[in-house]
Amino acid sequence: MKTTDASVCPYPAGDSTLARMALEAAELGFDSIVAVGENRSHQLHGLEVLQGSVISATSQKEIIRQVRKPAVRDADVIFVNAGDITFNRAAVSVKEVHVIRNIHATRRNAFDHVAARSAAEHETALDISLVPIIQYRGIKRQRALQRYADILALQRRYGFLLTISSGARSILEQRSVREVRDLCALFGMTGAEVNEALSSIGRLIEPKRPVRIVG
Amino acid sequence: MRPRPPAMRTKRRYILARILPYGATHDQKEVFLAVIEAATSLWGDAAVGLAQPAVVFCDCGYAVIRCRRGTEKDIATALATITTIADERVALRTVATSGTIRALRRRMQPIRPLPETGEVTIEGQHFTVYRYPRQKVDLIEKGIMHQKSLFFTEADLEER
Repeated sequence: MKTTDASVCPYPAGDSTLARMALEAAELGFDSIVAVGENRSHQLHGLEVLQGSVISATSQKEIIRQVRKPAVRDADVIFVNAGDITFNRAAVSVKEVHVIRNIHATRRNAFDHVAARSAAEHETALDISLVPIIQYRGIKRQRALQRYADILALQRRYGFLLTISSGARSILEQRSVREVRDLCALFGMTGAEVNEALSSIGRLIEPKRPVRIVG
Repeated sequence: MRPRPPAMRTKRRYILARILPYGATHDQKEVFLAVIEAATSLWGDAAVGLAQPAVVFCDCGYAVIRCRRGTEKDIATALATITTIADERVALRTVATSGTIRALRRRMQPIRPLPETGEVTIEGQHFTVYRYPRQKVDLIEKGIMHQKSLFFTEADLEER
């Protein structure tokens, strides 16, 4: 079971290089990180670095078109930015998509029980970004916490996967596993649920399949 | 005024937090204001009033924050939401919680820059290089105020 930070954005998008972020992540208790924009998967300072790719689209057709691009196809983890309710319902059913992200930026009804059931069936995860909890203040943070509590209620009912990401663009935005646990407790997530969410990237890239007898 | 007998005194807890980036020096009052802002915005006035957070000292890249016993977890969560101190980007990493400052002092391991420094130019901007243990390299833009910081490793610097 590997503890993974589901999304970091290293230099030049941020101010810290991938090697430095990997070093810090290892010190903070992570076993692997998903680097968005990185073009290869490798080991750095004893930490596994996975390649992530983010798709911004407005329709299912556009997602499928973008998924076929070589840069996206080669990624270990494919993220799609969440949109309105119809888009999200369609996005969770695309086989190649691993994670729906930026759910805190959508309307309250953008991810409902139908999308939740579909996400559980297709083994698509929903990302909980720590950016709004750490960096926002006031009503914006309250809204994000409400959204996350709502998603947690759906997750407990339908059992789809959750991932937790720091979304860090700098080593100053990375948080330790213990801090992640405390921050997720703000919207009612238990320690066991946080551990499961931190390890779900491994299950996404290597899903459980029935045993196949070869030869 | 005679002090209260020990059994009637308020029980305290002390949180040791490391301040990042390395080498940043902050006034105790500035750290206190950042802690209070973060805690108040997260937990509200009533909870922070009961927690009584205070910065005991701020030295060698560490800060020790005092609070009432039982509220240390809430204050540690609030510390994780601090992003700036006096308009400078920082992170406060909780290292340990204890009932005595002495125990926390034992946990403090000051990180000082290695003697070899240098200069480097990246995308037309001039940076001063500060090297730290474990091959960490911090680049601080040359200037007077609001200098940009980059966080590299020795290998990243050699590649350029």
